[in-house]
Amino acid sequence: MKPAKLRPFLPRPAIRQRICLSRSYAVQAPGTPTLQVFNRNTKYLQKERAAANVERSRKVDYLKDEVAMRLSERLLDIDRHFNHVLDLGANSCNIARALTLPDPDPDPSKTSSPPLSSRLSHLTAAESSRGMLYRDADLPFNKDINLTREVLDDEERLPFEANTFDAVLSSLSMHWINDLPSLLAQINNVLKPDAPFMGAMFGGDTLYELRTSLQLADMERRGGVSPHVSPLADVRDMGGLLQKAGFKMLTIDVDDIIVDYPDTLALMQDLQAMGESNAILGREAGAIKRDVLLANEGIYREFYGNEDGSIPATFRMIYMIGWKEGPNQAKPLPRGSGQINITDILGGGEVK
Amino acid sequence: MPSRTRPIERFAQAVAKCSAEASVYGKCIVADYNSIHKDKCLTEFLRLKDCYLVVAKKS
Repeated sequence: MKPAKLRPFLPRPAIRQRICLSRSYAVQAPGTPTLQVFNRNTKYLQKERAAANVERSRKVDYLKDEVAMRLSERLLDIDRHFNHVLDLGANSCNIARALTLPDPDPDPSKTSSPPLSSRLSHLTAAESSRGMLYRDADLPFNKDINLTREVLDDEERLPFEANTFDAVLSSLSMHWINDLPSLLAQINNVLKPDAPFMGAMFGGDTLYELRTSLQLADMERRGGVSPHVSPLADVRDMGGLLQKAGFKMLTIDVDDIIVDYPDTLALMQDLQAMGESNAILGREAGAIKRDVLLANEGIYREFYGNEDGSIPATFRMIYMIGWKEGPNQAKPLPRGSGQINITDILGGGEVK
Repeated sequence: MPSRTRPIERFAQAVAKCSAEASVYGKCIVADYNSIHKDKCLTEFLRLKDCYLVVAKKS
């Protein structure tokens, strides 16, 4: 039996016109992000909307598939079997798909190495957008890997126990996180000791062409600038952030992927279909004005356009690997303890 | 049923036909992009917009 509801019988004004008499100091509640940049709900809606058009959404997976493949290839560098792996911010399980691909061995004499998925027993794909996560649930690659899908309430709060995973992967979703330091600390917490975190995210110069040309178009047409392209973490920041979160033995590198598009509108439509449209809190409501789009087309092409009439868009990927501290883990030697001069091995001239 | 052309696609098609005007406008911006102010390249933009409006009306 349902408990009787009191609320409908309460006089309406009693609920609505409640005057707040207590006042308190404006203090930062612990655990809440200090800085909100992105509207997580907008991002959720954009992803759901993108995933609703399955055909189109699959067509624009080229970038996420490529990055997921490049990220999961790095698992090869770790000679280990992973029992339980978390894919954080899984999008449409691009990492799971990349793991089940036949392993492209650079050595043609042994092309028959098994796919990467044989290196792990259980993959948990976690993502806040249900539509995106389950988009490819009935495709054949699901049978080749022991995959569990888990819908998260919020990617900024991980619902997992400490010391759960043997590795955490994350591909192209951390650039929408508001509180990156907190998330990295949580990742460190859910990892087992001496387990790696491997992530790929958009960084620094991603879409700088679009960013600058939209700024110019905004300036000239409307006399001001409004944010259209997200602020992104820089390579230099990531080292500090990972270190602050307690990761050891960091490896960070960048990789540019330049995609050519026929025109700026094709680029923006693809971004939308990926679910990667603008979700900055301070963004303007509604679409970009047509005047600005028209101006942007001319400026972008004039500034950056290729000779064949296409326009390039740069995606800068930051790949990072960090290890949770564990016993018997290899540690960097103390400073100044080197016995061999590196120039003796590598050669090279003197610095003048 | 033929698939509906999204408005943005129609917009893109029309814009593509005005590449000459878009290029003139772009050149005007690029020539001095450090001191952009409102309506700096107004005449070039209006020419581009006129072209777009004519093309958009035809299709």
